Amino acid sequence: MSDLPPSPRQPLIPIPRSGVMIWVNLAAALIIAAIGFGLGFGQGIAAQYVILATVISTAVLLWLLNYIVVIFETRADQPSADPAQGRAVWQENRVMVIAMVILLIAYLIVTASVPDFRSVTNLIALLVLEAILLFAFKVSGRFSTGRSAFIGLIVLLALIVISSFTIKGFLSAPNIKAILLFAAFLGIACVGQTLVALMGGLDLSIPFVIGASNIGLLFLIGLGVPSFVAAGFILILGGVIGMVNGLLSYKLQGQALILTLGMGFAVAGLTQTLTSIGSAFSGNVFGSVPKWLQNLAAMNGKTFGLAFPPTILIWIVLAILVIVGLRYSAYGRYVYALGGNRRSAKLIGVSELKYWTLAYTLSGVFAALTGSLLLGWSGGGFIGVGDPYLFTTLAAVVIGGTSLMGGYGGYGFTVIGVLVLQVLSSFLIGIGLKYEWQQFIFGLLILPMVALYGRSPHIRAQV
Amino acid sequence: MSERSSSTSTYLLVPILLIAVLLGIAVIRGPNLVSMSGFGSAIIVAAPLTMATYSLMSLAVAGRGTVDLAVGPLMAFINVSIVKLNMLEVVTGPFGVFFVALGLGVLYQLFFAAVVIWVRVQPIIVALSGFLALTGINLVILPRPGGTAPEFMSSWGIGTTIFSPILLIVLIATAGWLLFTLTPFYANLRMMGYDERAAWTSGVRINIVRIGAHVIAGLFIGLGALCYTALISSGDPTQGTNMTLTSVTALVLGGVSLSGGRGGVTGALLGALNLWLIGYVLSTFNFGAIQAFITQMSYGVILVLSLLLTLLVPVIGRHISFISPWGAFVVLATIVVGIMLQAATSALYLPADPLTALAQGPLLTRYLLTTPAEAAQLGLSLSPFQQMAFLLATAAVVLVFAARLMNAEASARRMGLFLYIFVAVLVLALFALVAGQGDLTLFKGALP
Repeated sequence: MSDLPPSPRQPLIPIPRSGVMIWVNLAAALIIAAIGFGLGFGQGIAAQYVILATVISTAVLLWLLNYIVVIFETRADQPSADPAQGRAVWQENRVMVIAMVILLIAYLIVTASVPDFRSVTNLIALLVLEAILLFAFKVSGRFSTGRSAFIGLIVLLALIVISSFTIKGFLSAPNIKAILLFAAFLGIACVGQTLVALMGGLDLSIPFVIGASNIGLLFLIGLGVPSFVAAGFILILGGVIGMVNGLLSYKLQGQALILTLGMGFAVAGLTQTLTSIGSAFSGNVFGSVPKWLQNLAAMNGKTFGLAFPPTILIWIVLAILVIVGLRYSAYGRYVYALGGNRRSAKLIGVSELKYWTLAYTLSGVFAALTGSLLLGWSGGGFIGVGDPYLFTTLAAVVIGGTSLMGGYGGYGFTVIGVLVLQVLSSFLIGIGLKYEWQQFIFGLLILPMVALYGRSPHIRAQV
Repeated sequence: MSERSSSTSTYLLVPILLIAVLLGIAVIRGPNLVSMSGFGSAIIVAAPLTMATYSLMSLAVAGRGTVDLAVGPLMAFINVSIVKLNMLEVVTGPFGVFFVALGLGVLYQLFFAAVVIWVRVQPIIVALSGFLALTGINLVILPRPGGTAPEFMSSWGIGTTIFSPILLIVLIATAGWLLFTLTPFYANLRMMGYDERAAWTSGVRINIVRIGAHVIAGLFIGLGALCYTALISSGDPTQGTNMTLTSVTALVLGGVSLSGGRGGVTGALLGALNLWLIGYVLSTFNFGAIQAFITQMSYGVILVLSLLLTLLVPVIGRHISFISPWGAFVVLATIVVGIMLQAATSALYLPADPLTALAQGPLLTRYLLTTPAEAAQLGLSLSPFQQMAFLLATAAVVLVFAARLMNAEASARRMGLFLYIFVAVLVLALFALVAGQGDLTLFKGALP
């Protein structure tokens, strides 16, 4: 999927070639902006805000629409299949039609059976979902790369729209802060998983390292080690664990899943054993979390006097660093090269062992960082704090669209995946679903999302 | 040809060696294992794990890196479904419960296969998806551990005797797989697992083969859920993750290749037993409050070590091809059974007072290993030198026999008839011992 011709450089302001399209776009943008304008006055918001919002939304919409049109125009040069017969049309669209019909039937059944379900917001939700399907099938296929990111963004947008319709206070500052904070924890833990997945590996030791560093840090602080030294030491330990993971799984190609799982078991067990020796409360570590660590991750933390926890800032900086690094640094390019085709990367002189081990080492460091930050957030050590991250890190990477086979994806995709997961989780909590239902829905969500873009070729194409 | 065929099961050397060591330690540390109730409870506790490992094994053989991470939650799902249906009094009879358990397992696996084949998503993602969905729905069906298992299962999980229905289930599953390996379908399955493209180009209908592997995995997991329900005689929605992790560990300990094409029921069985034995051995040491942590750590360390040992398999296969796994199995089994007999009968060698010594006299005739003692009692007095010579001669004969067998079997694909007989005799001897010991304790209890 990566051998498409390089697309011509897009101008900052896309201008379609056909004049008609410009007018159509302008009309569409104005109509939508007018609806927003009406709604804004309907809700009784101050006039200057409504006007400002209308102007901005018109501009952004116009830009987006033009951008899409330009992409279509450059794609239109390529030969496309001739959908002359109705049969061919059906062949092309059957999956989408079937999916949409199934969704509609499910909605109708639920509506018919559950009286509480009959509301305008649910109808809007259905329409939005159908629109997502339509978009996902018909539009995303036109993008050469970043198709999964496009779908992810649409899903994210739709989720936010649905949530803010359904849940009171969804767009309030505390809620957004909470979503971002948890997204930051998950996002930092996902850095390593993304890097490793880009090379075709998996790291299941992340949750155990998170838990171990969580209680390990508190234990060290409890022993009287200065907190900065303890935190640094924990990060180094995480790196060492990651390095061992990398070295061993390099030897055992294809068994990384099991190997990291075993390492995780060993690390978690060892940490718990060490911290409970000479302690009356086995498995429980007590100590006081230093102020700076609490401020770093607690909900009421302050960043340079601003009212959001520094963890969010750390995540944003980290995300930018990783995205830019993967895209422009030699390390990043070699990671993609190795993930794409290991043999040819080796032939041009990329050291496989070095980059493989480095990816795992980084994964260990960031897992330890997440564990330390979670200690600041919760204020108490708990080995099970990492457990939810066992599969959510994988889920975020997969939903974002990074291929687990390696070579395709990136941390930007993972950020989208993380946000989708967090917003969805917040939405599900908001409509009163319990944790188990959330998990169920997460599980069911992963499959169709990956099916939209992560399908492997048919066997006859592989021979 | 003979060289190649000897390497087909070289991977079993590691689990066989491990199980011999573990069993030896287990028997020395906790001699209670060698008794009717010891074996009985061992079988019942290890059965769900064994079945889960079988299920993983049949999928792993099918290739594409299929590790069904959802195996634990699926087992818990069937477990809570059975319990819930029982509590609602919808399905309570044996046939209904079996039908529900196997049906749910097969249905899930069919869905899995369909997604992998037609939607063409990587199996690991389907497994991940299934894991999350099933873990969630389990808690919805049964929010906390509880409920009651169907009435007819109540006696299954007691474990005072070896011959429980659980053993029957395990035996049927094992025999079923062994029979299945005789069919050409199995050859196709292994070929597909080893190289899917080659299988496809040579005309194997890989979709059907894959569906078949999944159906078998579903049957195994259904049986496993039955064993699990019998073991805990209630419903428990929370143990899914643990079961997944332990059964994947067991799979690796059994030497099954996760990249497909290599593995079998023997390896999976040995792996599951190994894992159970690790837990058993660790439980005989008293670590107090940190027991659980030590156990977890040991699982991890042993998992990593056994993975590293699999790196040695090709080396072993190249350099010591004269040792066949089965030969090693027989030799090690002899040693371990010897240790078992020793541990189980050591009380007999130390007659505390003449009365018990006298009372135990006739019983001694039951045991093979006690023949010298018996001979001495009957008046066939041997001098220590003669005893030594006799023992040495026996050892030499056994050694020659074992070496000959190993040499002959190294090139064989399967266990020869001799080995079957040998293993059967060993098992029978052990069983006779264990059955006899029940009498013994009874007898001793009756003494003043």
